[in-house]
This record gives sequence, C-alpha cells and structure tokens, in this order.
Amino acid sequence: MTDTATKPTAPASDNTYWRSLEQLEGTEEFQEFVHREFPQAASEIPEGVSRRRWMQLMGASFTLAAAQGCRWETEKIHAFANRPEGYVPGTQTKFATTAEIAGSPRHLLVSCYDGRPIKVDGNAEHPSSAGGSDGYTQAMTLSLYDPDRQSKLIERGERSLFTRTWSEFEEFAAEVLEKLAPKSGAGLAVLMQPSSSLALADSLKRLIEKLPQTSVFQYAPLDRANELAGAEMAFGEPIRCHFDLSKADVIACFEADLLSSMPQSVKATREYAKRREPDTKKNPAGRNRIYAVESQFSVTGASADHRLALRACDIPAMLAEVRSAVEKRLAGETPSKPAAVELPAPPEDGFYAKSPEAEGGLPEYSAAFAYALAEDLVQAKGKGLLVVGETLPAEAHAIAHEINTKLENAGAAVTYTKEPALLGETQVGDLAELIGDIAEKKVDTLLILGGNPVYDAPADSEFAEYLAKAPHTIHLSEYDNETSRACEWSLPQAHALESWDVFHAWDGAISTAQPLIDPLLDGRSAPEVLTMLAEGPGEMDGQAIVRQAVAAASEAAAEDEAWKKLLHDGFAEDTTWDTTTPALAGPAAEPPAAPKADTLELVFTASSHTYDGRFANNGWLQETPDPVTKLTWDNAALVSFETAKELGVKQGELLKLTVGEEELLAPVFLQPGQAPGSIGLALGYGRTAAGRVGGMVNEDGSKARSEFVVGERGNWGRYPLVQAIPGVSSLLVVPANPVGVDSYRLRTSASDRTERPFGADIVLGVTAEPTGKSYELASTQNHHAIDELGLAETYRRSGDLIREGTLGTYEENPTFAKDLGAHVPEAELWDELSYNSQSGEGQAWGMVIDLNKCIGCNACSVACQAENNVPVVGKDQVLRGREMHWIRIDRYFVGSHDAPRMVHQPLSCQHCETAPCEQVCPVAATVHSVEGLNDMVYNRCIGTRYCANNCPFKVRRFNFFHYTDKFDQANNELMRLVMNPEVTVRSRGVMEKCTFCTQRISAARIQAKNEGRPIRDGDVVTACQDACNTDAISFGDLNDRSSKVAEMRENERAYTLLDGLRVKPRTTYLARVINPHPMLEPYLVLKKPEPHAGHHGHGDHGESHDEHHDHKHEHGGHKKNGKHGEPHVGSPKKQGRVAKLSLPILNNPR
Amino acid sequence: MDRFVFPPWVNKFTLLLLGGLGAGGAYVGIMLAMGTWPDVMNTGYMPQQPVPFSHQLHAGQLKMDCRYCHNTVDVAAHAAVPSTNVCSNCHSAAPGGQVVKTAIHTNSQKLAPIRASQATGEPVEWERIHDLADYVYFNHSIHVNRGVSCVECHGRIDTMEVVYQAKSLSMSWCLECHRNPEGRMRPKSEITNLNWEWQDSFESHEQYINAIRDEYSVDGKPIRASTNCSTCHR
Repeated sequence: MTDTATKPTAPASDNTYWRSLEQLEGTEEFQEFVHREFPQAASEIPEGVSRRRWMQLMGASFTLAAAQGCRWETEKIHAFANRPEGYVPGTQTKFATTAEIAGSPRHLLVSCYDGRPIKVDGNAEHPSSAGGSDGYTQAMTLSLYDPDRQSKLIERGERSLFTRTWSEFEEFAAEVLEKLAPKSGAGLAVLMQPSSSLALADSLKRLIEKLPQTSVFQYAPLDRANELAGAEMAFGEPIRCHFDLSKADVIACFEADLLSSMPQSVKATREYAKRREPDTKKNPAGRNRIYAVESQFSVTGASADHRLALRACDIPAMLAEVRSAVEKRLAGETPSKPAAVELPAPPEDGFYAKSPEAEGGLPEYSAAFAYALAEDLVQAKGKGLLVVGETLPAEAHAIAHEINTKLENAGAAVTYTKEPALLGETQVGDLAELIGDIAEKKVDTLLILGGNPVYDAPADSEFAEYLAKAPHTIHLSEYDNETSRACEWSLPQAHALESWDVFHAWDGAISTAQPLIDPLLDGRSAPEVLTMLAEGPGEMDGQAIVRQAVAAASEAAAEDEAWKKLLHDGFAEDTTWDTTTPALAGPAAEPPAAPKADTLELVFTASSHTYDGRFANNGWLQETPDPVTKLTWDNAALVSFETAKELGVKQGELLKLTVGEEELLAPVFLQPGQAPGSIGLALGYGRTAAGRVGGMVNEDGSKARSEFVVGERGNWGRYPLVQAIPGVSSLLVVPANPVGVDSYRLRTSASDRTERPFGADIVLGVTAEPTGKSYELASTQNHHAIDELGLAETYRRSGDLIREGTLGTYEENPTFAKDLGAHVPEAELWDELSYNSQSGEGQAWGMVIDLNKCIGCNACSVACQAENNVPVVGKDQVLRGREMHWIRIDRYFVGSHDAPRMVHQPLSCQHCETAPCEQVCPVAATVHSVEGLNDMVYNRCIGTRYCANNCPFKVRRFNFFHYTDKFDQANNELMRLVMNPEVTVRSRGVMEKCTFCTQRISAARIQAKNEGRPIRDGDVVTACQDACNTDAISFGDLNDRSSKVAEMRENERAYTLLDGLRVKPRTTYLARVINPHPMLEPYLVLKKPEPHAGHHGHGDHGESHDEHHDHKHEHGGHKKNGKHGEPHVGSPKKQGRVAKLSLPILNNPR
Repeated sequence: MDRFVFPPWVNKFTLLLLGGLGAGGAYVGIMLAMGTWPDVMNTGYMPQQPVPFSHQLHAGQLKMDCRYCHNTVDVAAHAAVPSTNVCSNCHSAAPGGQVVKTAIHTNSQKLAPIRASQATGEPVEWERIHDLADYVYFNHSIHVNRGVSCVECHGRIDTMEVVYQAKSLSMSWCLECHRNPEGRMRPKSEITNLNWEWQDSFESHEQYINAIRDEYSVDGKPIRASTNCSTCHR
C-alpha cells in the first residue's frame, strides 16, 4: 500500500452522489474521465496503421475520388409495376401484434416503413401493456435483421453437414411419421419452452390427436416453477397472481424485480409510476411506499424507498419473521419498538459522510426495517402487496401468499386466476423425465421447439450426452445454436415479427400476432412446423392455424368482422380469465433453515442484456449498460466490498468459483449495495454458437477460445459470416470470442432439495478463491461524469445534479428542489439569440424528466438507438469511453459503499438555449433553431470535437470510426434494413447527439400544416418518451400553455442541471421524492435544502466565501423574482462531510 | 550533422517556383469551384429514359394533371413515380385495365419496356433527374399543400419533350425561397397549373400577396418558411 493510494489527490469523495467506488476513492482513472471528454486512449490514432500505409490509403482514396467524375452517382428509380392499393411509398404504418419473450407476451405496436418493421413500441390500447415496453422489445428489430440468424435447413451427418430445403425436411418427416404411426406415435417426443401461445397448444393438440402416444416435455432455464409450487403449497392448486399496483399503498418486494423482469412488469411499472406522484391533486390515492429486500441491487431495489441487502438464503427466514410479526399485530399485540437509534449527528451542512448504518455498524437498521415493514403492512391492510421473486424457493412464495391473504390484500392489490393448462389433459414432463425416457430408449425422434437446452440445461443433467443418444433429433431455432449443432436436423425458426400466432395475455386476453414482413430467411413458426407434422405439408398456412386456434378459444372472435378487429387491435376484449378467491390450504409453510452467517452463496439472475442467453447476438442489448452495474459486453461476479475484502480479491480480478466439481473463472465486480456473503452472477453469457456478436467458435472445436483475437471493434463483426456450403464437413464460422462467462456450468438442477434447499438459483456452499489474474470489464459507470469535481467553485455554481427530498420535505416546502440548487447569477454569458420561447410564437420544444418516476430500466436508451440509427461500437471501444448512446442513464449511489441508495438520471442533450457547444464550432455545424433545438448538421461537421469538450453535460458522441461500415459489406445487406430511413446514418469523423427526435417533429409539423391546423400537444412523441414505461419523460411545445410539458416545467419540483452556468437547458428535471417510514428516515442520506429566501440581495458581498458565509442569513432585500447575487452555497460543503474512504482494493495491485 | 543550406544558385528559381505554385493553386481552385458549382454540375442534366415519355405531350397538350401520375405528391415526401399499371391504364389492354379498343399505342415500340414490366412485374428503371443530396430530407407534400407549385422547382415540365433539371437545386437556391416565400406561392387551385402567373388571377401584386396570406397564413402575418438547419437536415 502506498501513500498515494490512500490519499486521493483531489477531494473526490466530496460527493454525496457518487457513481462508483473509483469516484468515492478518487482514483486517477476517474479523474481522467472527469477532466477529459474522452480518456487519453480515445485520442490516439488507431494502432497498427503506419504513416506509410496511411499515405497509401489516402493517396488511393484521392485518386478514386478524382476518377469518379464530376457528377455524383446517378440513381435509378424503381417504381412498382403494380403498386398495392392504398400504399403510399415512404410513409409509416403501424400494426398491432404480440411477441412472446420467455413465455411472457409483449403487446406491441410496430412501425413499418415501406413494408419493413423498423421500430417496436408498446400497444397503448392493450390493457396489459398500456403502451409500455422494455429494452428487450425495443431491440427486437435488430434481431429480426440479424444476418447470423439461421437461413438454411441443416442436416448434420456423422462427419458431414448438408444444407437442405423445407421440402427435403418434409420428406424426412413423412418417413419418420410413417414409421411411428403404427405405434400411434410412441417414440415421438416434443420438447418446448413454457408458452402462452394458443396456436402452439392447438397445433400440438392436433399432432397428439393424430399420434396419441406422443410425449410432451417443457424446459426453460428461467421458469415459474418455484412460484407455481409455492401457490400449490399455499392454496393446493397452481394459481397465477395478478398485481394491481394502483391499489397498493405499501409494496414489499422480496428478491423480486417487480418493475423490470417479471412477466407483468410492464403493467406493474405503469401503475407504480402513477402512485409515485407526491402531489395529492394528481394522485388522490396518495404516494406509495416500496420496501425491497434483496441480495443484489435490482431496478426495483433502486426505486424502493427502503432497501435491505440480505443474502437470498436469509430472505425466506425474514419472510417468516414478517409473517409472525404481522400475525401478532393482527392479533392485537403491539410489539416493542426497537431501541431508539443513537445516530451520529449530521455534519453542519446536512450531509452524512457515510450512512449511519455503515458508520456505526448499526445492526439496528435491519431490526428497524423489519419493524417498519410489519407496521406499514398491517396499517395498509387490504392496500398492501407482498411480491416474491422467482429465484426464491416455493416456501417463500407460500409465505407471501399467506401474508397477503391474512392482510386481506388478496382480492384488492393482488387477485388470482387459475393457472391455465393450455394443453388440457396432456401430460407434460420436465427435462429430467425426457432424459429418463431417452436413457430407456423410449425416444426415437425428438423435436425441440426453440430454446437452447444444450447450453442452458442444468449442468448435472448431462443433457447433451443424452441428446446424442436419441436416434433422430430436430431443432427448430432462430439461430443455429449450441443445441442445433448437436441435433441431426436444424430448422430455421421465423422471428416473432415474421410469424402468425395468438397468445393469452397475462390476464388471459386473447392477443394476436401478425407477420410484419414475410420470413426473411425462410423460417417457419413452431405452430406451422407442428401443423405440418399433424396435417401434412401445405395444408394450413399460418393465418389459418391462428384463426382456428382463436375459434377454439372464442368462437365469436374468429368471425369475419371480429377477426379483422382482433388483428387491428391486437387483442380481443372481454376474453380475460375470471378471477378466483383461493382459500389457504394446508399448514403454514416453513422456510428452509438459513445457513450460517459465514456461508457464501451464489445467486443466478437473468441478464439485463441477454435474458437467459437468447439475446446474446443482439449488439444493442449487449452494449446497453446494465441498469445496476453499468457493465457492457460481460457478466461478472458481483461482490460486496466487505466480501471482497474477506476473499482478498480486487476489482476486475478473476475469481475461481467452485460448486461441487465444477469450476468457473469469473471477473469480480465490486457492487455497492450487494449483500455481504452473496455473489451475484448473471446467466446467459459465454455462448459459443450465438453469432458474430455473442460469440462463435468452430463447431469442431479446432480452435481454443483463447486463440481468437478480439476484433478491433470487439465482437461486433468485422468479418462476413461464411454460410454453410453443401458438402463441406463443418460450418465455417466467424471466430468471435464468447461474451462473458457461461454461468450455466455452475447451475445444477434443484431436484434434490436436501442438497439445494433454496432451489437452482441460490447455491450454497460455493467456494471462491482469488486467482490474481485480472480481466478488463467495460463498465460505463465513470464515463461522461459531469464535472462536479471542479471543486468548490464549480460545485457551488452547479448545485446538485440529483435533487431529492422526502415526502415530508415536499409537503413542507414543495419547491425544495430549487433551494437545493445554486443561486443563479443574473449576468448573461452571451447575447441571447431570439427564440420562439421569447416571442411566444411558433413552437418552443422542451422536455421534462421526472426523476421520481424513472426506474432506470434502459428502454429509452435502446429505443433511441433503434430510432436514431445509433451504432454499436463493441467492447474495445466502450473501454475507451466511445459508446454512442444519445441518451444515457447516469446511475448515482448515495451514502456509504456497503448500503447505498441508488438514483438513476437519464441524460441526453439538454438543448441549452445558450449552448456552449455552439460557441466553439468553427464551421457552424451545430447551431440553434428558432424552436430551441440545438441542431447538429452532420454534413458540415469536420470533427474538431471542440463542441464535445465544451459541453458541460458530456452528451456529445463522436464517430471515431466508420462504425456502420459493416453495412456496406456484401453479406450484410440484411443488417442495413434496420436503419430508420428518416435519420441520417453518420459516418466517421462526425459528431452526433440527441436531436429531440427532430425527424418526428418534422413529421408532425408537416402533417399538421398539410391538414391546415396547428401542432397539437401529443403530436410529437420522442422515441424515449414513447418507450418510457413510467411516463417519466414528457415532451412538447412550451409555448402551448396548455401542453403537458409546459405544465410540468412549471411544476414545483422542477429544476435544471448546472443552473449556475446559465446555459438554460430546455430539459427540466423533477426532483425525486422519497416516502420514508418515520422510523427509517434518519437512515436516509439526504441533503437538506436551504431556503433561498431571506438571503442577501444582489451584489452586496465580497468575493470571499468566508465573508458571506458569516453573514449569509442576515441579509434581507431579496428580490421577488427570485434573482440573487453571487451564489453562496458551496464552500461550507467542503468541510465536514468528506468521506475519506480507503479502498486499497481498487488501487493496489496484488 | 551540419545544417543543410540551399546553394545560392537556387535563388533564381524562387520566383518561378512561387509563380508556378500560385498558378497551380489558382487552377485547382477554379477547377474545384467550377466543377462543384451546382449550376455547372446539375442544371440542364437530361439523361435518357428507358421510355421516351413526353411531358410536353401528356401534361402540356393533353393537359393531364400532374397528380394523375405523381399521385402521392400531396400526401407524402415522395412524389412517387407512377407504377407501370398507371401507364397501362391507357396504353395497353392489361388484365383489369382498358379494353383494347380504347387503348392507345398498344403496340408502340417505344412502350415495349412498359409492356415488359406489366408482364413480368419487374419495375421500369427510370433515371433520377432531380437528385438532392442524401442528407437532405425534402418533402413534397408540405410544399404542394402550402402553395408552392411544381413549376417553382421543376420548371415548365409541360413544355419539355425530354425532362431536364431546370433549377440548380442548391441550398442557397432553396433558401432564397424559404427566406421570402410569398411572391412564389399561389392559390392551391393553381398548384399544378404550370402556366399560371399571378397576373392571371389578380389585378395587383398587393392583392395577390393578400390573397396568399389569407389562404396560407394562420394569423394574417407574413408567411414564414423555416430556415432552421433541422428543417431539411436531420
């Protein structure tokens, strides 16, 4: 340990709100990110290009340019021979459809441009969606146009591989069926993922009718087995819960990411946000309060009012405690309050350097938390809600059901329906049963519909070995993935946007899917393949299959007129299931015994990038920073600071995890807020047959993984994918390193409950050893850190970027957010340009982002990427701070490193009225429009990057390379289709940034003018706003006094970032309001607002801080219009609250 | 190593060298300026089309409305080039089209590509004449609906036997009109009447401008066309 490591050079930890441990510690890397727009490496000329080579290239390009002649390329116009009636070229049309992601249907409205889908949003009319979407759905179009998707049927022989056609497969299938028919199908097995598809169930039923001995199995790595088992335990039957957050005053989430990754999250999030509003005029039901108990930070935990970090294996026991506390209270007992906590007095300026819990090591926090939770739940009897996450064992679910029932929440905030059995009487087996059948040689032909069990089956099941033993295996899959490679036949599956289907929404409503485009790569949907087997080839097309399935479920909905309406709306009204009121059955569930306090646990979670691995080849998702870790292109072992110290590992070191016999090396990521003793590891990485983005190694394993060189742009393809060539013995693949580590290798089945008392996802008895090897993780958490470190001077002028208060503060002083900021100087930096906002004529565009509603889910970021052709740059570039997202979500921690709160802040171009970027552009490539947009003119930009250097918000992105050159390659024509034709595709050397979706503004303006009317409020919806599930983003015309955005801008919680700079951003933020339980309020780390009123007037103070510090409360004469003299906040902040943490873990090489 | 010094005899070449550089620079400058000037490069561009369609005949003599063929011009950004079946409406006895008796020039050699297209469904490959840079997002509908006639940008198409680019279509040319649109606008009824002059309908220029304001201005104020960068570039 050196001195420099323990003594940061700058008071970096002089921040209540911090982004990372590096910032808290003030490491050199963080300083670098703050002081430079792009870190040092970003300015370097690409390595490996010599000066001579450069001259050659430039010379050649010059010659070519000259040879092209004087007129630019001529273009041909290819008009239709017969243009379809009603079709107008170059316009957008929207269609309602449904896509199922891992058994949970998403209700979509897809925009098609000239017949190709380019943008996916939520279907606002669907009750289960209400217009919401998430990152996965926003990124669907990229998967649709992924050239790595399987484009041919492949038959794999002993030593050779052939490409086939569908008719050849049909012949093969006919042979097999003929062979199996006499045994009425015995020997035919179908393995599928749990699905709510009616069409799939219907076609499978028809196959079973024809061959009654067909056996059906289901497997998905992330399923709802624990939840259903819990319901069985509590109610004696499988029951499905429906949460209505609009009726919930108190919500308690136990290891449950209710707002992000549960099947009903889209709806729940919307209702949550509505109850989040602190103004009782807008939210008469009042502000809700959320408690989260979890082992690792989730999106829900970040939004919770109170959060407790506990090992996942301790949570069932905690639930049991809550149950007994609730029972006692219901019985009329009043438990004694935990001892009043002697909290350390807050420093003078209202800051805690660390949270009291960490400061005093107060175990009282958990006691106070449990007390407060039970009190709130009982007080909000009938208006509360307990939610338990899928990873927790069945007992935990059962306990939650018991508490919900006892508190009479059942029937109010939570309702129940019977879990549908879509396959009726058919016996559905699980993976273990399938393996048993194969071992007993009962399976002759195995048809696998979707999924990737070879990759994601439990490590101890040895599925791949058994699969090889089945005589015939057929895999229908979007990609020729790990499982396809192990099967005899690999069939291309149509993408969700290419197929007909019909699903039950979560509440049962019949929801249809219609193809937005013909299958691009000759794929077929699962119902089509099953129908082909049942009825013979060519008997029924996709539409007929779906219509028949609809008719089977609801006769009326399939009639001609109703059918048209159904397709148009995307759902049928009045087809939801009836609710039931199940009664508690059986004895109270007892949680599995919690292990000793020093036992290390490993918790597997779905990845925010790849889910269970299925989106591994989606560059948008891989590069979108995780909401919690801000990691891109990787998963990591999330470890708390404390645990890391105990294990002796540091950030980025490879940790050897051992479960049973299996070992895995995973990089360590120190995650503030991680429960001590718990290691979090995301599933869905380390794919070896995903594609050029997600990882691809040769089929014969001829090259070890380490031999592949990561391309200059990471895994995002530099090379064309070579397709299968008939007769060639193996697929020639583009080598691409697997992304992240394959955590499925440690995940075993949970059938043996004595060995795995907490289920498959919570593994006890894991050993973790440091290896001393380091690994580079691409986390964006320090990138684009707004320069808050400009020490006192900047700080006192800028105010806080994040402003928060409690509900009490808000009620007392609704405008507290303004008091948290700096006093704004009167002087202008520049002569102001004349904008519509001053004249009141025309439009003045503005945006308001409500931090109170934002949950940091990333949907806006991916939506922006889809709408605005934002390129993917790859891990290597992200490491250099060159990610291109126009809207990023800054994530701040508040409080100590071991028990912080988390705050998210979406940040895009603020469209400052006096924009500093515009002042420094030498070629006027960025200029203001009269409507207040900070326009970016790409064709003028010469790439000086002055603007980026001068942007205080660091929202400008530079094209260091021609990131879209892959679209020009011959094999990648398909990829090009994903581009939005309304937005320029930028080239190398050009600066870009958020435009407030200027293309959508233009479209709305043109439409309004064509119709001879003014632009109405709501005509312009930006892509991020459209995607935002919580309605946190409003956009519109500030000159229209009746518009929502104008009203929001006047909101009492409104403030602008860095208001001391007088750049006058057009984006306004609304302060966050926490609704704490009074007992837990002291634990919150919050800055106290200092009312501005009563301060000295303009100009009557000297330069010295000390001077006005002394007499700051003595001056009157404050002007009514709120203008003040020089700001005075600041210098006091420097003292007292500096948390000089020493984190040798970060700085010292081992 | 000693510093390199040019020998004195080089001096007499200095002037020559400077002169040469100056002349060369001027030559390159002039060539670049002239060679990239929109007027020089594009105006008058008259490529040969696969079918020698005469606008002079159809729009001029036969007085067909522009929108009979370019029928998306008032609803979309593109003024779609007509699909083959629009030609076939008059020129062939395509299934569902005109009967043979009323069809004109059904066997004309010049119309062979049309018949081929109609038969195969393959598009006719027309040459694009008015080609804006790809970073310009031009929208026809907003212009046509707001009183800007076809003639303002395309010239007297109705007198062209072979269509050529009549205007420079440069940015400064666009801005000329955007900065002062009123004198170039006309009542909506005359949008496709390429032969129209304001004198045809109005007695005085003042009356004409007032009529334009009445028709297109929201509040009677002078008409403004946007000159923001993002109006066309995004």
